[in-house]
Amino acid sequence: MNKKTTQNISVQIDGKTINAPVGTTVLQAAQKAGIYIPTLCYLENIKPYGGCRLCIVEIKNMRAYPTACTTPIAQDMEISTKTPELQKLRREILELILSEHPYTCLICIDKNNCNEFMTTTRKVSVTTGCNFCANNGNCELQDLVEYLELTEIKYPWAYKEIKPEKNNPFYDIDYNLCILCGRCVRICNEVRYSEVLDFVQRGNSVIVGTAFGESQKDAGCEFCGACIDVCPTGSLSEKMGKWVGIPDKSIETTCVFCSVGCKMNINIKDNRIVNVGPKPGNRTNPLQLCVRGKFVPGDIMFHPERITTPLIKKENKWIEVSWDEAINFTVNKLEQYRGNQFGVISSAHESLENNYVLQKFSRKLMKSNNVDLVSSFPDKNIIKKIHEYYTHHKPANIENITNADTIFVIGSQTNLSHPIIENRIRKAAKNGKKIIVANTHDTRTSYFAEQNILYKQGEEHTFLLSLLFVLNNKDSGKLSNELKQEFNNFDIEKVFKHCGVSRQDIEKIVKSLLNSKNPVIIAGDGILINPYSIFNFNTLVNIQTILKKPETCKIIFLLNEGNFYGSTIAGLHPDLLPGFDELASEKNIKKWSDNWKTDLNNTKGLSGNEMVNNIAKDGITALFVVGDIPAHPNLAKLKFLVQQNMFLTELSEHVHVFFPITGFTETNGHIINLERKLKEIIPVTAPAKDVKTVWETISNLARAMQEKGFDYKKPEDIFSEINSFIDLSFATEEKAKKEILPVRADVSVKKKKLPVEIISENNYFNYLGNDLLELIPDMEDILGEVVSGSSSGSSSGSSSGSGSI
Amino acid sequence: MKDTIDAILKKHIPKEKGNLIPVLQSVQKKKGYISPESVNRISNYFRISRSSIYGVATFYSQFRFNPPGRHSIKICLGTACHVQGGDFILKALQAEIGISPGETTDDMRFDLDRVACLGCCALAPVVMINNKIHSRMSVIKLKELLNKYE
Repeated sequence: MNKKTTQNISVQIDGKTINAPVGTTVLQAAQKAGIYIPTLCYLENIKPYGGCRLCIVEIKNMRAYPTACTTPIAQDMEISTKTPELQKLRREILELILSEHPYTCLICIDKNNCNEFMTTTRKVSVTTGCNFCANNGNCELQDLVEYLELTEIKYPWAYKEIKPEKNNPFYDIDYNLCILCGRCVRICNEVRYSEVLDFVQRGNSVIVGTAFGESQKDAGCEFCGACIDVCPTGSLSEKMGKWVGIPDKSIETTCVFCSVGCKMNINIKDNRIVNVGPKPGNRTNPLQLCVRGKFVPGDIMFHPERITTPLIKKENKWIEVSWDEAINFTVNKLEQYRGNQFGVISSAHESLENNYVLQKFSRKLMKSNNVDLVSSFPDKNIIKKIHEYYTHHKPANIENITNADTIFVIGSQTNLSHPIIENRIRKAAKNGKKIIVANTHDTRTSYFAEQNILYKQGEEHTFLLSLLFVLNNKDSGKLSNELKQEFNNFDIEKVFKHCGVSRQDIEKIVKSLLNSKNPVIIAGDGILINPYSIFNFNTLVNIQTILKKPETCKIIFLLNEGNFYGSTIAGLHPDLLPGFDELASEKNIKKWSDNWKTDLNNTKGLSGNEMVNNIAKDGITALFVVGDIPAHPNLAKLKFLVQQNMFLTELSEHVHVFFPITGFTETNGHIINLERKLKEIIPVTAPAKDVKTVWETISNLARAMQEKGFDYKKPEDIFSEINSFIDLSFATEEKAKKEILPVRADVSVKKKKLPVEIISENNYFNYLGNDLLELIPDMEDILGEVVSGSSSGSSSGSSSGSGSI
Repeated sequence: MKDTIDAILKKHIPKEKGNLIPVLQSVQKKKGYISPESVNRISNYFRISRSSIYGVATFYSQFRFNPPGRHSIKICLGTACHVQGGDFILKALQAEIGISPGETTDDMRFDLDRVACLGCCALAPVVMINNKIHSRMSVIKLKELLNKYE
């Protein structure tokens, strides 16, 4: 019939006619039509496995009982899914599966009363009921038993006597509950590409395991938690939220730990985070997360050391006070330090709204342009450059990585800094795309690379320069004349020697880039956290520009903190007013003075580092810090220091007033991720009574100081204010501007030392400056060596040893 | 050692992942067992994950993961030997040298494997040490026998 036009074919499932495209499996067609077929091993978006045999169906004129998940539909197929014969077979199959799984809870007639009567009041600690699994209702076997109305199991239960593994970080493993559906094995190998799990042994003794029975960590587990999410039994269970029961509700929000800004689904019960994972009832989590997203929110938001009341330091002791008292105390002090002696340092983990209000407070009320972010990027101008770049080039999407035919990753520890980006790179590699990795040392990405380049430490700029030179010599672009001039006296052989990469390697990369239809270049910390960051940036953009079709090439700049771009556009930059308006221009000062109905100070702002250095010269006397900055002896000289954070840190030693702060799961807001997409943060749990957001704190302070323009009732008010002043739709000129950025073809430049900067170390595992490794012992377990080992490796020599000022 | 594995790997093209089993067999033949290090090297060469290689290797009883001892003991648990009490012999043996099948003693004196039949059922139960069959074995004879191997 209309087969050719729509490519659809019609089949009959249980007498219902269904149209579905060619290649659809019987299971998918049935699901589309709302017909339930029981499954156990099936996972959406993963190659069908046909292991559990529960999805067997009857198909007319087909021998035996094919599995619905592996059988593609054919024209006029007649499929029955629920004949008595099928149900009988399914029951038999389920019984066999259950013969290796503790099944008392499944067929117990008293199971509905179990929770109530489980705990007894005996003198010894005895609980009745069966405590084999975590009892969080996350069991597909329970559902299947109910569906197939199984009330009795005729086989004896064969307990496998495998010792449960309780010493893994974050999750427990009990393979006695495992039914060998292979979901964890497949998600680990086919979706996450961590390749840690596989079936080992043979016959009766098959279990899911790692090579040589190593611990998960030693086997290279990245603790993304995907296997826990897909486990249909309680075999893999998170330590957090174990025994808690079925969550009340489930809320989707955005993760702020890195700039990918993944959607995350948080399950809560009684205003507490049970876990981050699939919604209850939806056993598989389509949202893939990394170790930070999966395990940190619950641990950090309910950390026992979290501060939940304002504190004032009196005679070197912290006194718990009410908000009114803390606000009054702070206001009295702040009144004395208006003007250029005041400074604000905030965190790029905070939302657009919070950081906007914070800088507005400093500029409008305190009349000081000393506002800065504690970010891991030492050169404040890099974000300006990236913004300028985005005005000519549409920012890359994460999907670009999947679609690219060549991916060139430079100087990045993507598996630690942006695991979801790493996941896309690996996926591309598995799909046969060309991956080129360049770094100072082998990384996990190298394993997936077709070409793995090792350049000498601190030679990112010469490596990029040689690449540009060779590419330019291929005479690929029309604009190469400008560069030719620059490269007049360029001794390429010397440069090859400098960076330790051979001519053949460079030429091979150039060839790959030239042959590629849509290359993606991913620039990591090695490029951006570097004394030559701007130079590297220019070289990289020039490489793109002189390609034959620059518009097909995408560069992804891996910003670290979740809202680095968003915080800068909110105005937390010493040289930039909100919306990337240069402070140096009178026009902009006027514009924002009008916007805020005030007269803005036009003195150039100090960066965080300059502020701390100027304390010694009495240039700065009062600081407001959101999050943390590395402790520095100068800080003791401050007349007034306010900190707002979740935890007391090393800095708190010098702090006079401490305000507790909400975490990102407790507040509304927006962030802008590395794709320059606006993403919404949604509150998941209510904060403790005395914990307030930054904007609430600032508004209270401003109101107490009788300043107008801070009458915000809710974060939406702030967002609409920002939206009325700044264009957040980010219209980009589609036509890429071809401009050669200045590069110096001079490699004899002396090694520049990074000005020692306030940067939150090269540690991706921090939130608001709080070290996650220190706060969460399990995190320390899995990353202790990795992080300390890599920070000296990936950052370019001179930039390591940040942390101190 | 590195060279041995290199030499074996070089005979195969990395893309031909199907050659994994022949490679494992060659490694076992040359080195006597499959070590974690060999698995790492094979994994990097063929780009097959370590756990997959281990999964494949554990599927076949021909591969061992411990270095062979000076003397290798194979205990038969085939039908005839089983009927004649092969299980008792195995238990006694395990108690005597303190290892389970597939393992090697710490002093590298013995390694132990169980086999299904050695083809001399008339002599059951049998134990084979270094390719020499010891017939009609008993727990007492076993202890004396082990003393002969240092």
